[in-house]
Amino acid sequence: MSPVALLAQHKDSVKTLEKVTVGSQRKKPTFTAITPAQSLNRQTLQQINAPSVGDAARFFSGVLVKDYGGAGGLKTVSVRSLGAQQTGVTYDGIAASDAQSGQIDLSKYSVTFVQSIDLQQANAQSLLQPARGYAAAAVLSINTLSFSTEALQHTRWQAGLKAGSFGLWQPAAGMNLVLPKQMAIGVNAEALVSKGNYPYYIDNGSSSLHTKRENGEMRSFQGEVNLLKQFKDSATWQVKLSGYNSSRGLPGVVVFYNERSVQHLWNSDYYVQSRYRKFFNKNTTGLLVSAKASRSYTKYTDPDYLNNAGGLDNRYTQYEYYLSAALSQQIKERLTLSAASDAAYSKLNSNMSDFAYPARKSFWNSLAVNYTRPLWQINGSGLLTTINDQVKTGAEANTISKLTPAVAFSGKLSANSPFMLRLFYKHVFRMPTFNDLYYRVIGNVSLQPEYARQYNVGLVYCTSFKGAIKHFSISADGYYNSIKDKIVAIPNKNLFVWTMLNLGKVNIKGIDVTAEADGALSKQVAWSSRIAYTFQHALDVTDPSTVTYKNRIPYTPDHSGSALLSFNYRHWTTGYSLLFSGTRYVLGENNPYNQLDGWGIHDVFVSRQINIKQYGLQIKGELNNVTDEKYDVVRYFPMPGRSWKISLLINNL
Amino acid sequence: MNQNRIILLLTLFVAGLSSCKKDKDDTAAPKVTNGLYILSEGLYGNNNSMLTYYNTSTGTATTDFYAKANGGSGIGDTGNDILLYGSKMYIVVNVSSVLTIADARTGERIKNIPLKDANGKGRQPRYVTSYKNKILVSTWDGFVSVIDTTSLAIEKDIAVGSNPEQMVVVGDKLYVANSGGNGAVQDSTVSVVSLSFMTEVKKITVSINPNSLTADDSGNLYVVCQKNFSGTAKNRLVKINTYTNTVVKVADTAVGRIKYYNGALYATGGYYGSAYIRKLSTTDFSQESANFVTDGTFMTEPYGINVDPENGDVYVTDAKDYLTSGEVFCFDNTGKKKFSINVSPALNPNTVVFIK
Repeated sequence: MSPVALLAQHKDSVKTLEKVTVGSQRKKPTFTAITPAQSLNRQTLQQINAPSVGDAARFFSGVLVKDYGGAGGLKTVSVRSLGAQQTGVTYDGIAASDAQSGQIDLSKYSVTFVQSIDLQQANAQSLLQPARGYAAAAVLSINTLSFSTEALQHTRWQAGLKAGSFGLWQPAAGMNLVLPKQMAIGVNAEALVSKGNYPYYIDNGSSSLHTKRENGEMRSFQGEVNLLKQFKDSATWQVKLSGYNSSRGLPGVVVFYNERSVQHLWNSDYYVQSRYRKFFNKNTTGLLVSAKASRSYTKYTDPDYLNNAGGLDNRYTQYEYYLSAALSQQIKERLTLSAASDAAYSKLNSNMSDFAYPARKSFWNSLAVNYTRPLWQINGSGLLTTINDQVKTGAEANTISKLTPAVAFSGKLSANSPFMLRLFYKHVFRMPTFNDLYYRVIGNVSLQPEYARQYNVGLVYCTSFKGAIKHFSISADGYYNSIKDKIVAIPNKNLFVWTMLNLGKVNIKGIDVTAEADGALSKQVAWSSRIAYTFQHALDVTDPSTVTYKNRIPYTPDHSGSALLSFNYRHWTTGYSLLFSGTRYVLGENNPYNQLDGWGIHDVFVSRQINIKQYGLQIKGELNNVTDEKYDVVRYFPMPGRSWKISLLINNL
Repeated sequence: MNQNRIILLLTLFVAGLSSCKKDKDDTAAPKVTNGLYILSEGLYGNNNSMLTYYNTSTGTATTDFYAKANGGSGIGDTGNDILLYGSKMYIVVNVSSVLTIADARTGERIKNIPLKDANGKGRQPRYVTSYKNKILVSTWDGFVSVIDTTSLAIEKDIAVGSNPEQMVVVGDKLYVANSGGNGAVQDSTVSVVSLSFMTEVKKITVSINPNSLTADDSGNLYVVCQKNFSGTAKNRLVKINTYTNTVVKVADTAVGRIKYYNGALYATGGYYGSAYIRKLSTTDFSQESANFVTDGTFMTEPYGINVDPENGDVYVTDAKDYLTSGEVFCFDNTGKKKFSINVSPALNPNTVVFIK
């Protein structure tokens, strides 16, 4: 059920293995990583109600997804309560970034062509990676098949259509063509149309209301072209062209007595990214060169905004150019060193008046070392980040230069021991975003970076049995994170004028538990299950004289988790999944009026695989939120109730 | 560990979720005798505007009074102003775009008047005042709506400047501060509306972004003008003679809200000014005291101000950090604290009105 995470090999720690998917009958290598790693492979992604990567990420432990509801709702992830800005997102090995808001909207990433989604705490296992990979507290990586050397093996194609409640239609098609001379080209495209007019209930005492969500329609189109070339010396070169276009209504917060909503958002993102990887000197030296150029355009309109211009029409265009070179060298059999150097230039333009036109030069330089013994390994890294901003109008932030270290250890008592111990410490910071620094009166150019220190102790247990349960793996990681100089928005002397300040100290204690098990009830009935549970206690420890002192930070439940159970009988698969969250507070003052109820949603599906000659047809029906639970992830942004979806997928075998 | 135990564990976790729910205070609304109401606007997007009833005889505060009196139904989002007039209370709810009319004593809702245009677009009402049998509500789309106190229907929308804010009635004229606060270039006028003809008769140019107004007993009007985002305009206080409808005095001073009482002006510092309540001269706007509070009482963020016309007690609402429960302070006219009212869980108290 789990794909192999990037695994360092004892004998050849330089060579990074490509991801390969393994069936549920093999061992779970996610549980052997030096730092906590979780993965959702293609098979699992098809068994959960996860149209986008943002939906899938809810199944990881330690992750909170902020979800504004519906197909068009913004979805951002925060890992271990460190905030969306401290979570890195990579797509096929190269970082996705947004200098304006610092957070990636994961509703934009469809899972249709995704091979696996991995969540890695602290540093990745592989030393051969861009320096920017060391910058985040945790990295969510999205991997597609077309960008891996598996694409060279055989030509394949697939076409599918999904239809569901609230006007959902989602056609997609993709093809990977093997070309002569060890080359392959992959093309895929997907469209999504959704009305998003789901019913909801708003509790307002005697004025409570059953109504339908308005202005939730969404249209998007995305496409990719991937080129892959493997040279005779086994070096690989990959190029990706990607485009995403969307037009969506923003239903907005439900306001009592005034449910109207007319705000609209358009996105148009294009990028090209490329990687070249080569191993020399009998595979003891590795080289990885990565590059990316992107343009993201956003248009936001609010025709109801009461100004003389007859509404708001704000447009932003963001550019980023990125280059990275990484080198790894195996010094001795057990010792590997690596160095990487990255540079990025990003700038933001807008049609707004009094706009600062910020531009940012970022440099990341990393050194990492890995020492591996048969029973234990230790991994250390240092990252020097230098960030320099320029603006056309007004003041600019000071240049920041900061060294942040990380160290990780994992070990076993004996080669056959089912237990593994892992420890890590990582210090990270996030630079204030363009919005934090320069957004008209709200921005504050004197902001300092926000720092987070992470400490983790974990124990992993993996075992195999004979009988109904074949494999069982469980990992439990306890962690303590402390955030200082947290960047928070506070309304300053006027509720319509907010200011960004370095105002917070937050202490987070938590436990992430992930368990996977599988087996066979008979020769024909196989089962697998996955459970993720998170306990988190994230407390504001900024100022003992305030009422929020030692209160839980907003939108952080103490308990949350997910579970998945699926059965396979011949060509039939059926499954059940659960997502739940405990109560949360919407504001820093934890009183009953600021409390938001916990929720639990149950999804079920059944699918049938029909193979005719060389074609495979999969028909799947799903019923999501079976109990029609009414819940909000963000207060007054109601989530959809019960819904259905039918999908058809045809591919060559 | 087997599968059953996994399921059992999971069930326990889920069961644990529902066990820690705390309940809101759902006691009945008390009987209103004397005292005051405090309107708290709450925080945008949270539908948590609340009304607190404070009984001055017993010294007890009942927060969320309105919801208690109305079967749990809330005021809505951003209650911006409240008026007690006759037997009714009128609450202007900005983001909800309604004028809520309720019984002044029981708090029971009589009617919610939606303030929306023909397309259903919220007109965003801001402030409320009264004249004879009419209620006057400024709306951010550039009008003053006239509502009859008996029919409770909108009779007319009087066109004024852009994004009008506070209003004051002087004689048979209504003065409206046109802030233009949402525009790229703010407005800088005060509209003069004839209440006999219910129409705007003049615009007086003051300074950029006028929003708070107060009138004295001798026909003068004091207008707070705030600077703009880009900083090209200054914070100003402007005095208008309402007999001639001309500007008679302009001074550079940063004020948030202003209230005239018995020969002096009480001013909060607002966004750009003093952290204290200042007492200013009505003639040259000089500081009669830099801090009206004389006993060292500390307020984090003075937000709204009102004076009890019967005894001169000064009420100041403290918005704290705007994200946590507010407090209201009552001072005697020498600046000594008489009492304070915790309006928890209400956020951002902005207006105090007196039940007479």
